[in-house]
Amino acid sequence: MIFTLRKKIQSLMSILDISKVQDDEVGDGTTSVVVLAGELLREAEKLVNMKIHPMTIIAGYRMAAECARNALLQRTMDNKGNTDKFRSDLMNIAMTTLSSKILSQDKEYFAELAVDAVLRLKGSTNLESIQILKKPGGSLKDSFLDEGFILDKKIGLGQPKRIENANILVANTAMDTDKVKIYGARVRVDSMTKVADIEAAEKQKMREKVQKIIAHGINCFVNRQLIYNFPEELFADAGILAVEHADFEGIERLALVTGGDIASTFDNPESVKLGHCKLIEEIMIGEDRLIHFSGVAMGQACTIVLRGASEHVLDEAERSLHDALCVLSQTVNDTRVLFGGGWPEMVMAKEVDQLARKTPGKKSHAIDAFSRALQAIPTIIADNAGLDSAELISQLRAEHHKENSTAGIDVITGNVGDMQKRGICEAFKVKQAIILSATEAAEMILRVDEIITCAPRRREDRM
Amino acid sequence: MAAVAAAPSRKTETYTDTKRRDDVRGANISSARSVADAVRTSLGPRGMDKMISSGDGDVIITNDGATILSRMSLLQPAARMLAELSRSQDAAAGDGTTTVVVLAGSLLRRAQSLLAAGAHPTAAADSLHRLAARAVEVLHGMAIPIELSDRDSLVKSASTALNSKVVSQYSSLLAPLAVDAALSVVDPAHPDLLDLRDIRIIKKLGGTVDDTELVRGLIFDKKASHAAGGPSRIENAKIAVIQFQVSPPKTDIEQSVIVSDYAQMDRILREERNYILGMVKKIKASGCNVLLIQKSILRDAVTDLSLHYLAKAKILVVKDVERDEIEFITKTLNCLPIANIEHFREDKLGYADVVEEVSVGDGKIVKIIGIKDMGRTATVLVRGSNQLVIDEADRSLHDALCVIRCLVNKRFLIAGGGAPEIEMSMQLAAWAKELHGMESYCIKEFADALEVIPYTLAENAGLNPIAIVTELRNRHAKGEKNTGINVRKGQITNILEENVVQPLLVSTSAISLACECVRMILKIDDIVTVR
Repeated sequence: MIFTLRKKIQSLMSILDISKVQDDEVGDGTTSVVVLAGELLREAEKLVNMKIHPMTIIAGYRMAAECARNALLQRTMDNKGNTDKFRSDLMNIAMTTLSSKILSQDKEYFAELAVDAVLRLKGSTNLESIQILKKPGGSLKDSFLDEGFILDKKIGLGQPKRIENANILVANTAMDTDKVKIYGARVRVDSMTKVADIEAAEKQKMREKVQKIIAHGINCFVNRQLIYNFPEELFADAGILAVEHADFEGIERLALVTGGDIASTFDNPESVKLGHCKLIEEIMIGEDRLIHFSGVAMGQACTIVLRGASEHVLDEAERSLHDALCVLSQTVNDTRVLFGGGWPEMVMAKEVDQLARKTPGKKSHAIDAFSRALQAIPTIIADNAGLDSAELISQLRAEHHKENSTAGIDVITGNVGDMQKRGICEAFKVKQAIILSATEAAEMILRVDEIITCAPRRREDRM
Repeated sequence: MAAVAAAPSRKTETYTDTKRRDDVRGANISSARSVADAVRTSLGPRGMDKMISSGDGDVIITNDGATILSRMSLLQPAARMLAELSRSQDAAAGDGTTTVVVLAGSLLRRAQSLLAAGAHPTAAADSLHRLAARAVEVLHGMAIPIELSDRDSLVKSASTALNSKVVSQYSSLLAPLAVDAALSVVDPAHPDLLDLRDIRIIKKLGGTVDDTELVRGLIFDKKASHAAGGPSRIENAKIAVIQFQVSPPKTDIEQSVIVSDYAQMDRILREERNYILGMVKKIKASGCNVLLIQKSILRDAVTDLSLHYLAKAKILVVKDVERDEIEFITKTLNCLPIANIEHFREDKLGYADVVEEVSVGDGKIVKIIGIKDMGRTATVLVRGSNQLVIDEADRSLHDALCVIRCLVNKRFLIAGGGAPEIEMSMQLAAWAKELHGMESYCIKEFADALEVIPYTLAENAGLNPIAIVTELRNRHAKGEKNTGINVRKGQITNILEENVVQPLLVSTSAISLACECVRMILKIDDIVTVR
């Protein structure tokens, strides 16, 4: 959402950028990173008013960021070895990610869904193989995970509705008419029979094309463009399932998932790789008919079908699920986790505070400011939950003064709670990315002291 | 010294910040409420209709909430969300589109007072979610199971759906018609599914709504082709659906025929004639005597010459069939479309007893009845004295069909006439007393908001709303779950015995969708315009 704002203020662009980078790299924490950067800048302004040079502030921030990161590194937990514990870690992370979104009411169900989908990926961060299909109707709880690929198209008329052990040819070719692509090409004849002959020849050409396609030894043909009536009938007669108008994305995914190539010409059957799957059949979801490919070559593929009351709900659900999937796939790679609910911020704030006390010179003011900025995050979370933030933060600080505290804000009860018991977790990578990106962005803006606007490009006179 | 050019000073802006938030929220709620108020008077059997005139002079009269809202051009985003809400209810249940908007408006009004009392929007939104879940349970407790074989109950719910529309006088005709159409389409292999695309509604000006009929066959809103004097009635028809053109050959690539003398011209004419004659002979040879020709974008589907030959061969021709109708037609006729003259075989034909062209109003239609092995489809011919009535009859019939679809999906009925809303309101208020804190307060307020439906029903009927609603509350508190407002008699009666019933799905989806929409509006605290 932040990307679509009109970029009026030039320096706003760098803030927008870090949010985008956060989304690309990790997938979640996009709001946190912008908030943290904002807080750092707010504190920095106060320091500047105290006549501290920005370079000092930057140096201080850098030291603080390093210290904060180390503080977290020492306290991460890693359950790579234990699959059960790891799975419950993933569930907790997914639930934490989803709890700030519209799916929060059904977060266990969707967390389960997301974890299953990601575990199928077996460590790859390529989320391409997880397809999210949106179908209005029903409620969010009717969404499900399907272990195959679903194409949102109908099967042609008169064709088999179910094929086992399918060989699939994925193509991008025009199957309606074969025009010569030279403008103004025309044929001149002198009798009607010749015209009839040419027409018959065109039909024959189409027939031959279909024959060539069939000669690949396939029983399913998926085309990106239209398949008009005549070839459709030819395919039906040959018992081949033909699907038309599958859009670009559908074609790309299908090719990826079934292990085939996308073909445009059909002269060399040996050089074209066909896709394979165990079963193709037509299924109904709600009132629409779709095509289901199961037992595909690429075992990691799966489809999540989202059902919901309206388009708004579905769109937001897709975005939330995408966030959760991103975070989970990152965590599968980098399995270190931390507690959530403001715990990492308070831990970092405490360490950074201690660093400030030890550091002589004006830098320590900057380090102090960093610690304050860090504490702003749990403050804002508490504010948004309608709780008394001042009271909660002070309680939290007192808890963290003890060694090995696991205290954080529990928004459900509205008090300080034990994050370990509550199971509120976050991925280490997310937190690390937030700290580093926010610090860098704040730094970059602090370094700017002059804005030079170039004159608009003068347009040359067109003759 | 570096001026921090970008980071604006937020210290003094904290007050304006929340003010903007409250402003935006207040504006959203107000505009959404005004939309809800606009459709309030259309609720119920005594509800009024709205006439919507668009810029180009087009006029529509309708009572259906979804239609009214979709035609209103709304600029405010929150108001548009309410229009979406009505559409979602239409898609999910088909009926209750006005109810859902009125409910949302009432919930928003309570939300506004809750926010003014200091409740946090997130707390209010969360309590709404719990309310929706609990309300659905209450409704299930009131529900009466039915079987699809119980035609009477189905007719009763369809009648209730039609009662609030313009065509309510004809509900004794339209309700059984809708039930029969729907039941004939249900596929025993998928008993929970009713695909409304299998029912086609054809509108024909003329007569009155009384002349509406359900046809067990197929109807085309076109004349049979008479240009060459073809037959207009065929018995024992063999029907072919063709997707190719019975016309002189035309290549896909541009072509022109060059003629250099008269003899050649003659020869061309002769060849053309022979070509078409050949095609017609092949068609006739398969025994086909009715031809349905798909409209073609490539060239003329038929020419005068081909029509002449087809007429001589005593084949009834219907041309200009749309490509997307082909699936419906082939399903009904249980045949396959033929894309090329070479593939013209007998096994691709459909069979029917009679195909005839009848005069209907001031136009003609082609009727096909007595189809052998007819597919599970139905066609309804709607008649009416003017276009507005026909359009509204079409929409009302659609609503009635949706109601039956709801019943096929979830086989439960509940009493209508405001009974479910009062019951929900009562039970939820009692439940609120068992809860703590802000949640209890919010749920109590929202539970009271549900009373808007019986209130509006009474208001629209010209009764005293406060007296009616309090009487209703009294009776429900005594345990009479099925008492509701009988607008015809103007009093409270056991509405279940009066046969005013609606599908459970309509009420459950109305309350769930309304709560969800209100939750989303409450959680918005800023509007960002993107140019």
